[in-house]
Amino acid sequence: MSAALFPDDPSIRTSNGQPVVFVERISKTYPVPFQRLKKLLKRKFKPPVEAVRDVSFEVREGEIFGLIGPNGAGKTTLTKMIATLIQPTDGNVTVKGYDSVHDDVAVRRHVGLAGAEERSFYWRLNAEQNLQFFARLHGLSSFDSAKRISELLRLLQLEDSAKKRFAELSTGNKQRLSVARAMLADPPVLLLDEPTRSLDPLAAARMRAIIKSLAQDETKRVTVFLTSHNLAEVEELCDRVAVISKGEIKALDAPRNLRATHSDNERVSITFTVDDAEKVEAALREAFSTHSFTLGRSDVSAAWMLAFSRKTNDQTLDTVLRVLHRTNCLVKGVESERATLLEVLEHYEQPDVIGTESDSSSPDPSPAKEENPR
Amino acid sequence: MSPLLFLRRVWAFVVRDWRLELSYRMQFFLRVLSILILVTTFFFVSKIFVGFADPRFTQWRDPFAAWLTGMAMLNYFMTGFSSLANAIRQEQVQGTLESVLMTPISVPTVIVASSAWDFVQATLFSSLYLVFGWLFFNVHYQGNYLLALAILLLTTVVLSCLGILSASFAMVFKRGDPFGIFLGTGSALFSGVFFPTQLIRDYAGSTVANISRVLPPTYGLDGIRRVLIEGQGFAQVRQPLISLLVFLAILLPLSLWVFSRAVRRAKREGSLIQY
Repeated sequence: MSAALFPDDPSIRTSNGQPVVFVERISKTYPVPFQRLKKLLKRKFKPPVEAVRDVSFEVREGEIFGLIGPNGAGKTTLTKMIATLIQPTDGNVTVKGYDSVHDDVAVRRHVGLAGAEERSFYWRLNAEQNLQFFARLHGLSSFDSAKRISELLRLLQLEDSAKKRFAELSTGNKQRLSVARAMLADPPVLLLDEPTRSLDPLAAARMRAIIKSLAQDETKRVTVFLTSHNLAEVEELCDRVAVISKGEIKALDAPRNLRATHSDNERVSITFTVDDAEKVEAALREAFSTHSFTLGRSDVSAAWMLAFSRKTNDQTLDTVLRVLHRTNCLVKGVESERATLLEVLEHYEQPDVIGTESDSSSPDPSPAKEENPR
Repeated sequence: MSPLLFLRRVWAFVVRDWRLELSYRMQFFLRVLSILILVTTFFFVSKIFVGFADPRFTQWRDPFAAWLTGMAMLNYFMTGFSSLANAIRQEQVQGTLESVLMTPISVPTVIVASSAWDFVQATLFSSLYLVFGWLFFNVHYQGNYLLALAILLLTTVVLSCLGILSASFAMVFKRGDPFGIFLGTGSALFSGVFFPTQLIRDYAGSTVANISRVLPPTYGLDGIRRVLIEGQGFAQVRQPLISLLVFLAILLPLSLWVFSRAVRRAKREGSLIQY
């Protein structure tokens, strides 16, 4: 696992916040129901499913913490354990100092969960009535709940849908209502499961801005625990990202550190204009004796685009720029692209990586499963 | 949790269910109509037995009044028994249980509050049996209504304990609740809803008749009929009251213990929201 499990990297902007969520060596194995009875009756049963294994991290006040991983990696189980909906088999989760098993009600007072499940609302009640119900369960008075609901409907641009039955709302609005519900009691910790999944690009951008502002607002300093398959969004929003695979945290760091740690290659694109492109190509072939490159017309008229990969901090870029300069090229732009989070994710999904980094004391790890079949 | 907060939450569930009920208006009116039709049917059936009542069965001199109290109380008792498990199952099937459990509210509170609307409805519909009998068919009830209400509440609480056991089964096994089968079908046959329980002894022997002795609704119905039909007072209904209190003393701690185990197990298995 990479560093920064407990962050002291000054480059991480939220590291000065107090720890709010502590996850300490938690594991979750879904037991086989009535295993002893099935053994007694000599009936076949599937082995227990190990969904999360020995996971530890902490999330600080005002931090946006991302959790990424493929389907079935254990993201939902981990989120639900923080939300007290599932009890860990081993280890502890504490939120604001409250234990998720022994003080579960207190934990829920500090946590709001916005899931991706549409059926979690009452379809024959309207949006406002749904929020009123959940606000009252949070203990808000009639006056306070009306005020808070009005604020949230405005913030999430749901005012026009307030009187519509939930069944009649668009998928995007249902998603927004789920976030509104999570924010009803103004909790210091928000657990967001793909909060922009069904939103149009404008609404998604607004949602990201809201999430950012909640974390950055000095008076609130909301801690956000975000699970998402949208890696660009994770990269844009999150201060730190944990990569989970087969129930284990494989890496945890700031997105740019993850990218840097897991790939030392970068892709470089240079845009230039020149009168004699053939001469440039010949000079590049001579210089690139061991590298491959592509040279072609750029989208910009009369410009050429040269693309190649290099090891970060090697001499290739300098060599290429000298060649271009020598052949009378006018360099218009240079862009470099380091590894993406997708590549980081792919790295941990490679069988040899998983094989080498898994706990050797568990020779036959059961496949992690995110959700139990009904 | 303060009592005020608890009541506020119960009220939230009642308002929610009232609103959901309003979205199905037709169902409400059809149910009222079906009670009226049932009461009318029993009125005409009772006319067959005019003058044939066995003098041993003092509560059954007017079988129509006995049936009305029997059906009204059975409706209420069954609500007490089944509403808790139904509340869990309905939230599971709707997919809303998880979102309710994400609020700072304990599982027992969720179950009690979710079933509150069922009791409101049961009170209304059970009353309708008695009101229709009084309004349209000249059935008169006597005795101390408060005492009858006390017996009704005590019986309902006892049945709610069995309901908690039933909800525990629903939580762990999801379906196939033995308490439901035993009490649902057993009460109508053995508790004296439609005929005196003494007849079971006469026709089926004392072993079978003993089944009615282990069913709390038997004592609840007997007590309520003694008050409403025979006009008896507290001293005369002491025996069914004591029996109900014994049931309560055994079932309340047992059901709460079983329920806490069931919740713990469901959370451990991650099956709380499955159905």
